[in-house]
Amino acid sequence: MIHPNMAAIDQDVVVSGLNVGKTFAAGTVIALQDATFNIKRGSFVSLVGPSGCGKSTLLRLVSGLITPSSGEINVHGTPVLGPRSDISMMFQKATLLDWRTALENVLLPTEFQRTLTKADKSRAMELLELVGLKDFAFSFPAQLSGGMQQRVALARLLQTGADILLLDEPFGALDEFTREHLNIELMRIVAEVGATTIFVTHNITEAIFLADQVVVMTSRPGKMAKIIDVELERPRALSIQTSVAFNKLVEDVRDTLEAV
Amino acid sequence: MAATNVGSYEHSTAKLHTVAIKRMAIHAIIFFCFIGLWEFGSRMGWLDPLFYPRPSAILHSFWLIYVENGNIWFHLYATMSLVLFGWIAGSVLGIALGSLVGFNPLVRRFLKPYVIVLEATPRIAVAPLLIAALGFGSMSKIAIIMLVCFFAPFINTLSGVVNVNEDRLELFRSLRASKMQVLRKLVLPDAIPVIMSGERLALTAALSGALVAEFIQRDQGIGSLILVYTRNLNMASAFACIFTLTVLGFLIFKGMEMLDRYIAFWKYEEGRVRISQKRREKMKGTSHVG
Amino acid sequence: MSDRIKTGNLKNQGAVPASDANMPVFDQLFDLALRLLPHLALFIAIIAVWEIAVATQLITSIIIPRPSAIGGAIVELYITKGTIYRHFIVTFSESVLGFCIGAAIAVGLAVCSALVESFRRYVIPYAVVLNVTPGIALTPVIIAWFGYGMGSKIALAAIISFFPIFVNTLTGLTQFDEDREELFRSLGASKVQVFAKLRVPAALPLLFAGLKIGLTTALIGAVVAEFAQATDGVGVLMSRFSFQLNMAASLATLLSMTAIGLILFYSMEFIDDQIVFWRRESRREEKSRARAKAWKKRAGK
Repeated sequence: MIHPNMAAIDQDVVVSGLNVGKTFAAGTVIALQDATFNIKRGSFVSLVGPSGCGKSTLLRLVSGLITPSSGEINVHGTPVLGPRSDISMMFQKATLLDWRTALENVLLPTEFQRTLTKADKSRAMELLELVGLKDFAFSFPAQLSGGMQQRVALARLLQTGADILLLDEPFGALDEFTREHLNIELMRIVAEVGATTIFVTHNITEAIFLADQVVVMTSRPGKMAKIIDVELERPRALSIQTSVAFNKLVEDVRDTLEAV
Repeated sequence: MAATNVGSYEHSTAKLHTVAIKRMAIHAIIFFCFIGLWEFGSRMGWLDPLFYPRPSAILHSFWLIYVENGNIWFHLYATMSLVLFGWIAGSVLGIALGSLVGFNPLVRRFLKPYVIVLEATPRIAVAPLLIAALGFGSMSKIAIIMLVCFFAPFINTLSGVVNVNEDRLELFRSLRASKMQVLRKLVLPDAIPVIMSGERLALTAALSGALVAEFIQRDQGIGSLILVYTRNLNMASAFACIFTLTVLGFLIFKGMEMLDRYIAFWKYEEGRVRISQKRREKMKGTSHVG
Repeated sequence: MSDRIKTGNLKNQGAVPASDANMPVFDQLFDLALRLLPHLALFIAIIAVWEIAVATQLITSIIIPRPSAIGGAIVELYITKGTIYRHFIVTFSESVLGFCIGAAIAVGLAVCSALVESFRRYVIPYAVVLNVTPGIALTPVIIAWFGYGMGSKIALAAIISFFPIFVNTLTGLTQFDEDREELFRSLGASKVQVFAKLRVPAALPLLFAGLKIGLTTALIGAVVAEFAQATDGVGVLMSRFSFQLNMAASLATLLSMTAIGLILFYSMEFIDDQIVFWRRESRREEKSRARAKAWKKRAGK
């Protein structure tokens, strides 16, 4: 991400926001205030903060599910007016359709665009293989664990081929071990696919572990407090979480949160 | 070690077997005691055989109406043909209107008081009215059946269409699905289980409706048979007819269950495994992916 | 799709929407009237169109009487001749008595089945047989056994309402919440205490669901039995009017049946609300205030 005080217009910026704000309930609730950001192609940005800091709101604004009350958001140079094919979003709940197999759930986004071709089906299969669920392609959601369901949702996220991925606390409901495993998977996949990712979480460790930049957000009202660069080498292993550099970053984030 | 394990496994399954057999035996004993007491009491004169038919008499009647006279078959056909026709017609109407109202919040709001009133009214009570208005015969019977079995599918379809999962709706919105797509791929499949349960209620209601119509019209059908036999104090035959309905009711119950397992397969583990296998094979058959 | 509003945020911003309870009474009544008005308007419109359609002979069959005729019949039945009251009370009592008997037996058997495993195992097949048989088929036999008076109607109502109540109560009493059961066990509760303090309260919602269904079916049983053979009751009245081709009076009587149905249903709703108070927010608040008050009173002494 390019810091807002560098005015240069970079061709490499795929997502940008200028003074974005969002209020609810006829202006009485300020969910987000004055968010300005520029995100470069291929970078991984984490939004971290406590409840009510506006991180999910910001993500939804970028996805087009809600519209800003003030300011504007551009993706690939054009303003975001609603959900778009170049943006793909994953939610905290897997929200799979229980009358469809895993494979059919992954194919759902494509079904909305056109009649399915053989190529679509093989691609979906490959994605399931990518998330490690090749043997469960024909299983129904009720037969899959929570972690597996989220992996199907991840494959579905990638099915659209969108290069901007938005993830809203996707692993929040899972246990620590599954979450750590999926974090590693996510980084691997994102690197392979070359996507630009915005990841929302309330878990500071996760935020730093995954990202190139961490945006610390504070609440009352929701705003972007600080952008912290994470200059740790990739690919990252879980062991990095005990290193000095990592913990300095954690301290940095906590200090920012407590400063408010 | 292995030998002991196998031994204990065999031992426990054998134990389960004996338990099951023991239970079946007790069921049988209770049943035959009950029958025996009834028969005995009847022969002793404690129970007036005119009003409380003996089991032996009932069995004899079964033979009469099914085999010797064979008159029940005609009446069974008469009743069931109307029931099935009325059930399907009433359900189709109920599902169609239920969906229409479900998709129209304004209509729903205005219809609500009338639905509440309709729900409180015993719909079967309209039978005499319909018979008086439409005359004796099949038409009024079908009208009654359709009326009684319209309500459950209507309400259930309405509920199924209205109560769509919010998270799923948001997912579909994020994927820019059209209204038609939301309908076909989300609302309808989601509503299937609830519609199926409404159908089962409808079929039961349809049978009751047919019986009431026959009680009033007394022309043909199982209901008329029961009425006529009872009037003539031929209680044994009346009971034979009633037990026939029990068997019929049981077949309906099991039939609907099977239908449910087939249509709303994803609610059952067995269905999930079965369809999962089917889809896997289909994929193997058409693609190169192994 | 409404935007998500987190209540936390609402409180944080110090914004609280004006609560309806704070509005003056007149405003509340006005609000209510405003909400009822469209429904009233629609109703009047339907009646008007109906009346005109029959008057101008758009609908000519004898089946559909004029609303004014129905109104007239209602007036006659309830006010001028007052014939309906006797029948109304008869059918009402038949339903309620039949329901009470059916419910008593059903709940009793369900409790026994829940407590004693073997009882349940050997009673269940007979309950299933009863369920699967259309209760209505028993009508002629019941009348032969119990005679032409109210007895047969009560009996049929009891038999028909038995099964829904039985199955709901049994399901309610045998549902197993592992966490709660474990809690009770860890606190050293005896089997009886677990039943009385956990199973029974947990079963109440389902019990009442069953009672509501049972009450509705009891009414159906009473009415159907009346069709078959009776001298008193709204079912008989309706049947009589129908065959005299007096459709207006027949429909008026049908509305009386609806009235009975509504009274029964809302009475049960009321009792449900009183006993299973923890399901509705307003009732919870009421109850917790009542308990706090009682506590203070006792503490004061």
